Amino acid sequence: MPSRILIVEDSPLVTDAFSILFRESGYDVDVAGSVAQAVEVATTRPADLILLDISLPDGDGLEVLEQLRERNALPRATLAMTGHGDSRSRQKCLDAGCAEVLLKPVAISELLRRIEHHLA
Amino acid sequence: MSMTQQVSDAALIKRLNALETKARDTQRTIDELRARDALKTQFLSNISHDLRTPLAAIITHAEILRDGMLGELNQKQRDSVTGIVNGGQQLLDMIDEILTYVRSASDQVNLAGSEFSIAELVDQVRLLNQPLAAKKQITIDRLNGDDLPPIYADRDKIKHTLGNLIGNAIKFTPDGGRVWISFSRRGKDEGELLVEVGDTGRGIARDHYELVFREFAQVDASPSRPHHGTGLGLAIARRFIELHRGTIWVESELGKGSRFFFTLPLNVARE
Repeated sequence: MPSRILIVEDSPLVTDAFSILFRESGYDVDVAGSVAQAVEVATTRPADLILLDISLPDGDGLEVLEQLRERNALPRATLAMTGHGDSRSRQKCLDAGCAEVLLKPVAISELLRRIEHHLA
Repeated sequence: MSMTQQVSDAALIKRLNALETKARDTQRTIDELRARDALKTQFLSNISHDLRTPLAAIITHAEILRDGMLGELNQKQRDSVTGIVNGGQQLLDMIDEILTYVRSASDQVNLAGSEFSIAELVDQVRLLNQPLAAKKQITIDRLNGDDLPPIYADRDKIKHTLGNLIGNAIKFTPDGGRVWISFSRRGKDEGELLVEVGDTGRGIARDHYELVFREFAQVDASPSRPHHGTGLGLAIARRFIELHRGTIWVESELGKGSRFFFTLPLNVARE
């Protein structure tokens, strides 16, 4: 069964691009545009990996991890995506339980490599 | 009280009132200008952020096409799509530079100090710039620094500063030229580190030594200028170095090259 990736990101432009990328690479894909939606989707259809945008319209993306932890629904790995790469926000993501922090936009070859690595 | 004194008192009070009104007006103007400046900063920040998202989507789509994930492309198609990726990437770099500048110009910037080897950091930045330098057959050398003790500073900001200086050096140096980085200690008890980024580029006229550090400034600002960019790189570098209580300046000879210097008080950010 293919691995399932949940894309949490509020811009449909970006989720459309990633959906194509991941489906063409053989993954199942879910999309959520907010913290609330991400928690709902991830609890009804558990993801193997979450690609998590940090700034969401209804809060900090890291809240998704917090709520999923409470519900025992954490994925195998979460990759955070952030617009700014300063070490403080990077550390915050790692402390919250993200396996890795990627600087937006990530080159697709690199992104696929990282995902493959974390799902291996 | 004499008549003359009464008159002069009245005149004095009138003048005082006038001055007070003027002071109030001036304060109002200052407040207004500050508010407008904050608005401008907010606007630049919002627009840069909003430009970034669709651009990221464009680049990702173009990469998907370029890498043949939706079917193999012929060479011409691949070259064209590669052009979209590269152009998008360049645009994104410029937007990022504007965002960095906006953040550095506002009060949001603090130093996040840590201990690190500046020689190693320079080597990282050299490596990042290697592809660009190789295209122009330019060498980037670090002349010394293996024996420097670790410094305490904001690593991200020093890296950004070095990136801007070395990137500029490559940009303004003709093919086959040289870029170098060297270190020395100076000041009281050798408490200051002096970093030099030199190049064999076209140089900067003495009249322009200050201008180049001003935001949005390019010595040649004409639309046909050969070098494009935001004109923010050195303004950001100056802001970051000044945050560390260092100074930054340039010495140059037209046609021969430029040497950019900055100082870092050792231990600055530890407070």
